[in-house]
Amino acid sequence: MAVNEAQEMVEVTIDGITTQVPKGTLVIEAARRVGVMIPHFCYHPKLAPDANCRMCLVEIEKMPKLQTSCSMPVAPGMVVRSSVPNVKQARQSVLELILANHPLDCPVCDQGGRCDLQDLSHQYTPTTSSFHELKRVFPKRYFGPLIETQMNRCVTCMRCVRYCDEVMDVKALAASQRGTLTEIVAFGGHELDCEYCGGCVQICPVGALVSRLSMYEYRPWMLKRAETICGYCGDGCHITIQTKNNELIEVNSTFGAGRNNGDLCARGYFGLHASEHPDRLHTPKLRRDGEWVDVPWEEALERVANEFIRIKAAHGPDAIGGLITARCTNEDLYVFQKFMRLVVGTNQLDSSARYGQINAVQALRRVQGTHSWSVAYEDILSADAILLVGTNITETNPITGLKVKEAVKKNGAQLITLEALTSAVGPISNIALLASHHLPVTPDQFGAAVIGLVKAVMEEGMVDSELSSRSPEYVQAISEQIGRVAWSEIEGRTGLPPTSFKESARAFEKADRGVILVGQGVLRAPGGYGITVNLLDLLLLTGKLSRLGCGLAPLSEENNDQGAIEMGAVSEFLPGARDLNDTQGRKELASVWGQEVPAGNGRSLTQMFEDAKSGKLKAMLIVGENPVASLPPGEEVEQALGNLEFLACQELFLTETALLAHVVLPACSYAEKDGTFTNTEGHVQAVRKAIESLGESRPDWEIFSALSVGMGHPIEYENVKAIGKEIRSVIPGARTLGPSPVPPLPDVEQVNHYVQSGFREDLVSRYQLSERGGHGADSLILAVTQSLYHSGKFSTRAKGLLRVQDKGVLSMNPGDAERLGVEEGGGVKLSNAQEQIETPVTLRDRVPEGVIFFPEHFDEKIRRLFRMTLDPQTAVPYYKLTRVKVEKA
Amino acid sequence: MKILLKNMEQPGYTGSLKEYEQTGGYQALRRVVGGMEPNDLIDMVKASGLRGRGGAGFPTGVKWGFIPKDHPGPRYLCCNADESEPGTFKDRQLMERDPHQVLEGIGISCYAIGAQIAYIYIRGEFRLGFQILEKAIQEARQAGYVGKNVLGSGVTIDIYVHAGAGAYICGEETALLESLEGKRGKPRTKPPFPATHGLYQKPTVVNNVETLANLPHIVNRGAEWFSSIGSPPKSTGTRIFCLSGHIKKPGNYEVPMGTTFRELIDEHGGGMRSEKPLKAFIPGGASAPFLTPDHLDVKMDFEDVAKAGSMLGSGGVTVMEEGTSMVWAALRLMEFFNHESCGKCTPCREGSSWIVQILQRIRAGRGRMQDLETLSTICGNIGGRTVCAFGDAEIAPVLSTLQHWRHEYEALIREAEAAHPPKSEIPVLSL
Amino acid sequence: MIFAKYKDQVEELLSRYPVKRSALLPLLYIAQKEEGYVSESAMKEIGKILGLTPPQVYETVTFYTMFHLKPIGKFHLQVCRSLMCALVGSDDLVGWIHRRLGISPGQTTNDKMFTLSAVECLGSCGTGPMMQVNDDYFEQLNEEKVGRILDDLKTHGTCPLKSGPFMFPEPVR
Ligand SMILES: Cc1cc2nc3c(=O)[nH]c(=O)nc-3n(C[C@H](O)[C@H](O)[C@H](O)COP(=O)(O)O)c2cc1C
Ligand code: SF4
Ligand code: FES
Repeated sequence: MAVNEAQEMVEVTIDGITTQVPKGTLVIEAARRVGVMIPHFCYHPKLAPDANCRMCLVEIEKMPKLQTSCSMPVAPGMVVRSSVPNVKQARQSVLELILANHPLDCPVCDQGGRCDLQDLSHQYTPTTSSFHELKRVFPKRYFGPLIETQMNRCVTCMRCVRYCDEVMDVKALAASQRGTLTEIVAFGGHELDCEYCGGCVQICPVGALVSRLSMYEYRPWMLKRAETICGYCGDGCHITIQTKNNELIEVNSTFGAGRNNGDLCARGYFGLHASEHPDRLHTPKLRRDGEWVDVPWEEALERVANEFIRIKAAHGPDAIGGLITARCTNEDLYVFQKFMRLVVGTNQLDSSARYGQINAVQALRRVQGTHSWSVAYEDILSADAILLVGTNITETNPITGLKVKEAVKKNGAQLITLEALTSAVGPISNIALLASHHLPVTPDQFGAAVIGLVKAVMEEGMVDSELSSRSPEYVQAISEQIGRVAWSEIEGRTGLPPTSFKESARAFEKADRGVILVGQGVLRAPGGYGITVNLLDLLLLTGKLSRLGCGLAPLSEENNDQGAIEMGAVSEFLPGARDLNDTQGRKELASVWGQEVPAGNGRSLTQMFEDAKSGKLKAMLIVGENPVASLPPGEEVEQALGNLEFLACQELFLTETALLAHVVLPACSYAEKDGTFTNTEGHVQAVRKAIESLGESRPDWEIFSALSVGMGHPIEYENVKAIGKEIRSVIPGARTLGPSPVPPLPDVEQVNHYVQSGFREDLVSRYQLSERGGHGADSLILAVTQSLYHSGKFSTRAKGLLRVQDKGVLSMNPGDAERLGVEEGGGVKLSNAQEQIETPVTLRDRVPEGVIFFPEHFDEKIRRLFRMTLDPQTAVPYYKLTRVKVEKA
Repeated sequence: MKILLKNMEQPGYTGSLKEYEQTGGYQALRRVVGGMEPNDLIDMVKASGLRGRGGAGFPTGVKWGFIPKDHPGPRYLCCNADESEPGTFKDRQLMERDPHQVLEGIGISCYAIGAQIAYIYIRGEFRLGFQILEKAIQEARQAGYVGKNVLGSGVTIDIYVHAGAGAYICGEETALLESLEGKRGKPRTKPPFPATHGLYQKPTVVNNVETLANLPHIVNRGAEWFSSIGSPPKSTGTRIFCLSGHIKKPGNYEVPMGTTFRELIDEHGGGMRSEKPLKAFIPGGASAPFLTPDHLDVKMDFEDVAKAGSMLGSGGVTVMEEGTSMVWAALRLMEFFNHESCGKCTPCREGSSWIVQILQRIRAGRGRMQDLETLSTICGNIGGRTVCAFGDAEIAPVLSTLQHWRHEYEALIREAEAAHPPKSEIPVLSL
Repeated sequence: MIFAKYKDQVEELLSRYPVKRSALLPLLYIAQKEEGYVSESAMKEIGKILGLTPPQVYETVTFYTMFHLKPIGKFHLQVCRSLMCALVGSDDLVGWIHRRLGISPGQTTNDKMFTLSAVECLGSCGTGPMMQVNDDYFEQLNEEKVGRILDDLKTHGTCPLKSGPFMFPEPVR
């Protein structure tokens, strides 16, 4: 947690009210504290003062001229007056000057009704204007597919440009020309090409930048608002969904709100319409003689319940398996696992947290005894050094990325980036450009590079002396093991000389507060679990694991990956992420549930598919997951599921997986649900219903409940609150909702256990360079990765996001392209032992040479090139990396 | 009394390093780097009373004194050679005719404030000056006056010329810094001031070319000598006045401060170019309020000109003869300011284009009496409320012509109202 | 690629500043000299050299009047129109040029030889009326001189009437 340094206080008097504020506070903020609201346009607490609009002028005693309160820090004894006549006159005059060239087109302006210019004009009532000249008129230009500019309305406060630069580090907006002709444009007046975070639209105090998705759709006072949490990534941003007549209109987030502090990404700001896609399922469906027929809920539920009863009777409860998406709420996930365990009577259940998050949680549990971060966003902001490992942070966890940017840009943190990313300037921000130490590696070599860092720590005398004396055998064992890895080998793998590792390790080691962020590039790639444990070793060795403000922060990809694990919706854990065989845990659960947790091990999702293939598993309930489209076709999930006697799906859409089902039950999206999500930090946040359920769709937990009734073993709740209450009663220390999370501290006993013996079992394999995949001279590493504009497949139904990215295109370094003779937009042929496919190419400087990326949200074809391997310890399926031969098509 | 123009007025003087050295050039630099304490140098310049020649007239030694002594990082000197103030053309002559005098001044200033790098920010249009300076720097570098080890003293002073690209506002010191950083030339909000947060947020001094050119002479001949020249104690030394407009002999004239305008115009400038008498003059560049024949005996020092309601500014003196339309003159300057407003702050950005439109309308015979009220009000709403001093500058021509020649405005408007009688105004509900 | 052949010059320029972006205006000058105007590809190339996004380069470029975003005539006649020159006849100068070339400010001759602009003060108020042609100043102009300058430029590409190092008034010998 951020520690408040003792702050020097300064006494100021504002409009007669005397108060103490911290030194350095701006007058406008000091005034706000005593309830004096000083009008402004250009000022924004997120941005460095620019003092250009001159709206915030105040009188300050002993100063000759009026001063801008937005840029003036308080001084001891300062006396400020903001309501004297000449200040009021100054404000009126600024408004009159702004209105001189303003088109006054409020009747057709989307900002009308929530516009600072309207509100302040109303307040200061310059009811007549002496302006009788011609207004400056900008011709309309096409700005981009999602944002429109109305430059005649612009007040030239530069908030948009400053936000894009200072907060986002994107720098896509240009203020062109000068004087009254100053106009906000994209490069050369072309179409905007950027991260599409929507921040410029949000921060514009007037209607000069508007979202094209909601333009002319509403007047603000017609809208209903719901404060909720974005359903896309693990960052868990606060959003306000605004609706009209049960239609999704737009999303906002306000300064200070949520863990995102009002910032959003493209998915959050422009992605909300996925929930209302016309393909949404509105009624339960049954496959009858190969045809889909709509049936009433009663019939569908009865069918599912009866099939499960029948199969359970015939083959035992373990012939039925369950799989759920980590996009569901905690309440859904909790009721799901309870349904599987108590009603079906099996531990064969898993969720999409298996795809990577489980690696993180297992590593944390093993080394420090927590199942979530021991730090929070505040610790990133106050860190002295931050190490990013395989995060692809801007695309995957954009808001956590903003925290890193803020830590570096505002607070001067050292940033070490171990990423498959070239530090090149491009249309979307590049975190490597902010790095003090950039370690570019190909995405298959994160493990080797982490070994390099640990080796540097061992060899350069950076090991915490206290640890050396307390646990010499731990330090010794790692030292011995890592001594077997030669620098030349590490250099051969990573292309980086020993000095790079030594300097980076030193920068991290000498920091008082060091935070490591590890992302999908590690968690979802071969060896992910071991590499994560090694990163915890790095923290331990540098004496940071248990130090306040330091810790490992694994980034979750899906919005509720963390919640799925905490709710026990994975095969190895009970609720509270306690081991399935934890007798104490089972006892406690049994006392609340009034029934024993079934015996027998759980099976992970890939194991369940194997069992389906072999005929051991007879039926499945799949909730919101689409393994047929996610896993490589070579893994024959489709055949496996086809083999089942019975498959039921709860879904929003008729996905590839749902198409194989016998019954499909229409579920609600997050926009129609109440409940909670747990974000990547482990912070539990309230999800609130923004619209009524579409058609006959129902929240997932209600469907489980209904099935339980149908199966003669009712688990019923009055509402989600009741579920929440039960969750808190079965999970000791379950975090309650609050403004900021209090992260758990590493468990001393567990850490002791780890350094005494817990580290040993896989030490050799963890500190060994992995096998190198086969490769020839013409082969490149192909990775499917997260795109900034999409999240899973759900977002590919969002009309806004499709306007930015509507298909998968292979991205490639221009150098590689040149060698292959491929040009922007040209095609390539990718081939390996499995398959051969063709795809168009885009050239991007940020893609490292020797690597090609494909966005995972599109094009099922590409998956044919991949095969799956399983993590021996965590059963995580890895299938996002391969090597391919690339030729010009 | 010539100090700055003395060398170049010698016949055949080309400003080469050799010639400059022959006139005693670079002795001052040799003296300071040879062991003068920077603090003593600063005190000397303070004692000389030298004030900035760029426009604001801030005491140079005092400005240097603001540079934090204990700052660990680099500091910078920027020589302001943007010379874009209409009516001013003295720095151009100093740079093109005697570049080493400027370079020596830069060296001395760098030494005083501990700067190892100086940038000469020259307006982009001065291509010739740019080349001459580049060549002179090369000469000086070879001779050991510029570079890593100036005259064997161990002191580093690097000088680079940096060309602007057409923006008057980049003469304003913080806009200059922004421009030098490769950005739009928008003035910064102050505080913080360049002395602590200047170029690249490091301590920085910005000095005008003419200011710097005075330094070698002060070091050579002493503060006392300098402070005895001109109109002590507040306006010491000479100044180069740039005479332009309806004058017989326009040009640059170096005279001691405190000389009267009448002497400058009649004796140096040879009087008006035709029979028509003087009607108005601008005493210190486009930013200075217009004065009238009544002010001809005002002494050209900072205080007296301020008392007369104007300012000495950049030293550009423009005279206008009887028959010149003051509305037209104000409009021309206002068009300049409107063209050059950077657009950062509301009053200047919106106000300048509004004023231009009103003046154009009045000139075009479409004026209305209430326009004059409006003009004063807009000017009042600009003055003192902008980010930089450009706002105060741009209202000077309008306010001063309105003050002294209001009848000219009124005459135009009366004609207009006679030709196009005002229609009844649309009634406005007053609340 | 413009800058490949200016590698040394670019490096020297970059060495002058502790922060790369400072070299932006100098690089833009090179680009404009090379192509006659600042092209979009040049802006992108400069962005790459300096680590700036193209919009960052663009916003700087458009602030300054001396950069052209479109090709202009071979000779850019820039007549100072500010008050001091106007007092001594700069409007006439525009008229003389119009009479000879048929172009008004903002226009280019059909043969793409001359572009005329009315610009603000060029810092030679004592020697007006005046104009700048590309890098050179031509001062104390009258109709005859202007004729000669335009002819010379057309035929020889330069004109001896251009100003040398400035000194005005010249000292009496
Ligand atoms: C709008 C504006 C334009 C300016 N233009 C110039 C200029 O072209 N040359 C100059 O030396 N100072 C100019 N100044 C003054 C500078 O801001 C600064 O005061 C000066 O360079 C300081 O140097 P000095 O103390 O040696 O005079 C200008 C100021 C303003 C407000
Ligand atoms: S996708 Fe992630 S970062 Fe973007 S708005 Fe949603 S929660 Fe926030
Ligand atoms: S809010 Fe202070 S100047 Fe704009």
